[in-house]
This record gives sequence, structure tokens and C-alpha cells, in this order.
Amino acid sequence: MEFAKKLAQTAAILSLAAFASTAVADEFVVGSNLPLTGPQARWGQEVAEGFKLATEAFNRGSAKHKIKLIVTDDEGNPAKASAAAEKMISDGAVALYGGFPTPAVVGAANVATKAGLVYMSSGYGGTKADFKNFFQINAISGYQKAIAGTMLDMGAKSVSLIHNTKEGSAYVATAVAKALTDKGVKVTMHPYDSAIADFKPIINKIKLQDRPELISMVGYESEYIGMLRAAKVLKPEVKAIVCAYGVATPKMMADFPAELQNVYGTTMLSYPAEFATKDGKEFAEAFKKTFNKDPDYLAQFGYVSGQVLFEAIARAANAGTIAKGGIAAEMRKTDRETITGRVTFDETGFNPHFVLRMGQIQGNKIPLIWPKEAATGKMNFPGLPW
Amino acid sequence: MFDLILQATYSGLLSGGSYALIALGLALVFGTMRVINLAHGEFVLLAAYIAYTVESQMDWNPLLALPISVVVVCITAAIVYLLVTRLDKNREMNSLILTFGLGVILTNLVLFIWKADIHSTSVGWFQEAVVLGPLYSMRSELLFFITSVVMVAILWVWLDKSWYGRAVRAVSSNRDAAKLMGINPHVTELISFLIAGILASFSGVALYCASVIQPALGNALTIKAFIITILAGIGSIPGVLIGAVLLGVSEALTITLLSSALQELTGMLLLLFVLLALPNGLFGRAGRRG
Repeated sequence: MEFAKKLAQTAAILSLAAFASTAVADEFVVGSNLPLTGPQARWGQEVAEGFKLATEAFNRGSAKHKIKLIVTDDEGNPAKASAAAEKMISDGAVALYGGFPTPAVVGAANVATKAGLVYMSSGYGGTKADFKNFFQINAISGYQKAIAGTMLDMGAKSVSLIHNTKEGSAYVATAVAKALTDKGVKVTMHPYDSAIADFKPIINKIKLQDRPELISMVGYESEYIGMLRAAKVLKPEVKAIVCAYGVATPKMMADFPAELQNVYGTTMLSYPAEFATKDGKEFAEAFKKTFNKDPDYLAQFGYVSGQVLFEAIARAANAGTIAKGGIAAEMRKTDRETITGRVTFDETGFNPHFVLRMGQIQGNKIPLIWPKEAATGKMNFPGLPW
Repeated sequence: MFDLILQATYSGLLSGGSYALIALGLALVFGTMRVINLAHGEFVLLAAYIAYTVESQMDWNPLLALPISVVVVCITAAIVYLLVTRLDKNREMNSLILTFGLGVILTNLVLFIWKADIHSTSVGWFQEAVVLGPLYSMRSELLFFITSVVMVAILWVWLDKSWYGRAVRAVSSNRDAAKLMGINPHVTELISFLIAGILASFSGVALYCASVIQPALGNALTIKAFIITILAGIGSIPGVLIGAVLLGVSEALTITLLSSALQELTGMLLLLFVLLALPNGLFGRAGRRG
């Protein structure tokens, strides 16, 4: 009698466990290698926050599939990025996301390619990706279009272009220079190494030799501040200063208001952020609630990348093709509106619809001033920080 | 062209002055102990972040952070010294690995506490231009340069005239003979580390006022300081200032006359040339005995 009772209890527990296992959602591991420390940490942390928010949003909205996120700090180092990718794949990752700067993307994407997995990035600075199953919602051409487009709209005849020699910055600078020279603008290039401490000799060359109408800068945050301070001291007679990424953000504006007044920078968002769509408003609200700050465009990249990747994983899981390269196939079918605009992927894995915008720091606001159809404010031109 | 070269030389001179102040502490410890403290750049960075905290949290002028920076950085320097003294074998080589590791720990500690954002002083006075005829600079750069020259002079006089200064030179010259003269080399070496901490505090606060700081900067500062120490030669304090100015001017002239992309290469070529022509550095003497 006692035995029969125990048997019945065991059977009940086993059947409950069996039922529970069918009710539990499938969990897929996604690995993310990002520079959370080191010189590119600010970039990595912003993107990581957006990607984390996308993970939470997906897991909240999906009963059938869940994403388990593994984040590894690669310090932007190619060797560490490759090692991180190997480790995350051995931990069961079905897809990888991350990478910045370009050499770190190359390292991790090669590992993912060998393992037959999708590698998604927001930080590859090349114009063509030679990896199989590589996807990126933004493209370097978007920066070039925005920077060159703004300067052409200003009617510039001559530009001095100061740029970091790192791969991504060099790509953007070269592409901008080509777009400008094709339109008859005289461009003088001033490449510099990251270790530079004093930009006055470069700015003085621009002031006394180049004498351009505009100065353009393609580099990183601390370098922009160094260049702008040198320019404030030497005061070259130019009409505007047009920068690339990392300048037109609320954080930079709040930290360096004097240096950045009237300076232009690539962005996706005006500040205060104005989202016209329901998705955009929800993103901004959730971001502020989670991280207690306003989102910038890097967080948007992380968020949209996550959305697109997780949806592809869910579709592949539903079709039972995860193990047969189904995620890559589903990524290629992606065609959706997002908070950064329409996303599809061409044969190289880039999003052909991606166009950045230009913002100008005006007081404590960053209105969008280019392209005209996206503008939320008027350009202060000519306008300088001094 | 003359104006360009003049401004480049002036900018290089000021940059060299700032490099000298950063390198001085590393050169002193290297001269005394033959230990290359690869965490020295992180000492400078720590002081810079303390200046940032004092300015942003207390709304004080960052220069007022100096006493706090000196205390915190000297405690850190003393800890590093105590760890270095625990190395029994091959101290010169093993201390490289130890201090490199400590530098990584300090960088990550800075990152953990202050995050990855870039910072610089918001006191506009430091960024105002000082115009001397055709020469332009920021007030903070001049201040950094003057501080550097004054610190070099004080250190030089201290090493030459004070008992402890002479003890440092004695230990640097011949450790065993210094012991026989009643000098405690451990105390002397600790003093060197503490003075390096004080110098790092001055350079960190000056760096925050003149430039932009971020957690990854420590390593670059150490490399620059190391190059200058080797250029100057072991045991030469004025040599540090001259070597640093030489490096600063060479870099600025390279940017002006050749290309800004070649700036770092110039520093390395200068180092290589000096090492080949003068193996003991510009003002160094042969290695110590004992």
C-alpha cells in the first residue's frame, strides 16, 4: 500500500515535470563582445545598453522563445575579441553581436564565420565585409553621406580634414574627401596618430597654409576636444567645424558646452529626443527608466540590432532551422521599419537604407539640420565655438 | 613658414614641459631602484581623476585637489613599493611584470569608479589663450610648463643638498656602499616612491586642467615617461627636462614640416638614435655598482 502511494506520488511529480518542460520557453544563447573598458569603452557601453534593452524587451514580449545574453569585454582588442567569440560559441551561442573598432570586428567575425554563425555588428568601419553571415544595420557610407552632404549644402569651396589614422576614421575621412573632391571642393588631409597630445601645430598649419572655409574632424571624443581647444586658441578664419561621430550627443554637450557650441556632428537623434513613432517613444521611455539617462544614437544601434537579430532567431526556431544556418537565412529576409529607419540587408550584409543625420549643438539643444526633410531646426551658419 | 616653425617650436617646448613632469617620478624610481614602474602613468591618472571629483562633486577649483591627490597617490605608491620589495629574485625584470599588472588593476579601478567618459576641467580660465606676439598657448599649458620647471629645480636641489637626497643618490650609485655608510636603502627607496607619488599628483592635476582624461590614458603616459627616462639617461634629473623638451619639439616640428601621422614615429626614431649613439642616454652615467 505504502509502495503504491509512493509510486503514485512519483508518477504525479514526473508528469508535472514533463508538463512544465513543455511549457518552458526555448532559450537561445546570444554572445556579445564589446569594448566595455579601454579607449572605446564609451562606445561599447552605450551600444551594450541598447542591446540589453532589446533583450529585455524581446524576453518580455515572447512566451515561446527567450534570449540568454552573454556579454564579454574585449577592450576593443582584436585578439581578445577572437578569444571572446571562441568562448561564447563554446558556451552555446547561436549568434554573436558586437565589435568595435574594426579590427576587433574582423577578429570576432572570422571566428563566427568559421563556426557557421551569424555575426552582427554596429561598429565595422569597412565598406565591404568579407565574412559570411555578417550583418550591420548601419554602414560607413551613412557617415560619409551626412558629413559630405552637410558641407556641400554649406557651399564650401575648400575644406581641411583632420582625421585619426585608425581604420574606421580613415575610411570615413577618405570617403568624405572623395565625395567633396568629386564636386570640385579642395580638400587638404591632416591624418594624426591617437597618441597626439597637442593639436596646435596641425591647426596652425590649417590657419596659415590651408586657409579653408571649413574644418572637418573625424576622430574620437577626447581628440575632438583637443582639436577644438587648439582651434579656440589659434582662431583660424573658417565658417564652421563639422565633425563625425561622438560629438552630437547629450553627454558631450553637457560636459563640454563651451568647446562644442555651433559644432556639427553625425547623429540619429535630436536632443531633446523627438520620436514620432510609438516604437521610438517606447524605446526612449524604457531606456530612461532602465538607465536613468537619455538614449543616444549608439544605444539606438544596439537596440535595433538586438530587435532584428532576436526576431530572426525566433523565426528560425519556429521553422526548426537554427542548426542548419536558419538564422542567417532569416536575417536576409529582414525587412522592417525600426527606430533608425527601414532595415534590410544587401548581399554584403549592410543596410542600404541607412542614412545618418547631422545635428548642430545650439545652446543646450541639438536640432537636426541635415537632411532638410529630417531637420528639426535651422543651421547656425557661419557659426563657431568662439 | 617662419611663423609655423616658431609656433611649432613653442608648442613643442610646452608639450615637452608637461612630458617632463609626467616622467620625473618614473625617472627618479628608475634611478634609485632600477625598477621601471609601469604603473606610474596610472598614478598620474589617479591624481587627475581626484581633481575631476573635487571639481565636479565639491565645485572647487581643481587645483585645490592637490593635497588630497598627494595623500591618495602616495598611499598607492607606498603599496606598490611594498609589493615590489617582496620580489626576492630578479627584481628588475619581475618588477616590470608586477607593476604592469598593478597598472591594469588601477586602470580598471578608475574605470569602475569613474566610468569610461572623458573629462576635463570646466574652469574656462585654464583654456583662455595667452598670446605672446606670434606665439599662442592656453594658460593651463603655460602653468603646466612652469610647474614642471619648478619641480625639476626643487628635485635637483633636494637631491644635491639634502641628506635624504644624497642618500637617494648614494643608493642609486652603490647600494652596498650606501648601506656601509649607515643609509637604510629600504627607507631611501620608499622615499623615492613617495616623491614619485607627489610628482605624479602635480602632473595629474595639471593634466586634468590642461587636457582631457579617460581611463585608458595611463598606459600612454607611462610609455611617454619611459621614452623620456631612457632619452635622459639614468640618474639625470635636468636630463629629463631636456629630453622631454627635445621630444616635444621634435614631435611638433614633424607635424608641421612632415605629417601629423609621423609624430609617434619621430619619438621612437629619436629614442633609437640616442640609444645607438649614446647607450647611457643623453646625460646618463654607467650602471651602478653593488
